[in-house]
Amino acid sequence: MHEASIVREILETAGARAGGARVRQVRVEVGQLSGVSPDALTFYFEILRGDTVGPQAELEVALVPLRGRCTACGRAARLQELTWSCAQCAGALVFDNGTELSLTSLVVEHA
Amino acid sequence: MRELITIEQKVLKKNGDIAADNQRELNRRGMFGVGLLSAPGSGKTALLERTLAALAGRARAGVIEGDVQTDRDARRIAALDVPVVQIVTNGTCHLEARMVQEALSRLPDDIDLLFIENVGNLVCPASYALGEHRRVVVTSTPEGEDKPLKYPAVFRGADAVVINKIDLLPHVPYDIDQARAFALQVHPAVLVFETSALTGAGIAAWVDWLLAEKRRSADARQ
Repeated sequence: MHEASIVREILETAGARAGGARVRQVRVEVGQLSGVSPDALTFYFEILRGDTVGPQAELEVALVPLRGRCTACGRAARLQELTWSCAQCAGALVFDNGTELSLTSLVVEHA
Repeated sequence: MRELITIEQKVLKKNGDIAADNQRELNRRGMFGVGLLSAPGSGKTALLERTLAALAGRARAGVIEGDVQTDRDARRIAALDVPVVQIVTNGTCHLEARMVQEALSRLPDDIDLLFIENVGNLVCPASYALGEHRRVVVTSTPEGEDKPLKYPAVFRGADAVVINKIDLLPHVPYDIDQARAFALQVHPAVLVFETSALTGAGIAAWVDWLLAEKRRSADARQ
């Protein structure tokens, strides 16, 4: 539910950085332990984009892979989807990242 | 002509900047800030009432209460003669740093341990730093032991977890060892306390930890 205020901030920054150019795409990066839902970001983006970047702008959400390792067997893990146990030995995984939430870039079109 | 503009900026940067200002303000005024987060109804305010009673004579406590509506919680705290500021978010599902900044301006200076009770919600508050020195998640036995797995972001951001309502253990199917294991699985370094705000069980150890952390934080700044 807090995604609405997150999207407002993304749109504000994107609008300012576009400098009057037509925004085609807004790219964000979301970690799997950020507590932010990509679907909810897209939902609010489509509702709120009209006032700032315009209805032609699309949101692209990149999920950042989780990097970590198993505390039991030491195997390195790189996950597209969150799990807490090692695929090899079912030991507990610890992660080095996951809380990413960034506006990475814009694609704009100059007239 | 299309152009790619690289930005690489953290979303919520502004909130993070205000949170950093809040922590500087707390340090300047000699206040140690503790954030309390939980689902609605896990007993944050009851735990706070017990904690404030146990702190009497040991620390000068103050409270910022966050709720979607009403000042009911602030009135409970004020009844204990503890300075309190109520933030009513009017629908917003979490506290933001700017709300705490405003609340800080309304609190007296003679406080050295400040509790910030967030809106009851285990999802949204996790994304917003407020400037507190420690963050504590309160969970309770009727909620089930799998809360850490279901809401990993908030548990990973916490310095300590309080399992409240342990007086209900004989009556609810709650495996407290499993709950500890889940909390440690999500956040290997996290401290776990077991309390009952109703009977006072476990409150002494929790309060000792708060006071020790407050001293540690003050020492680290000297």
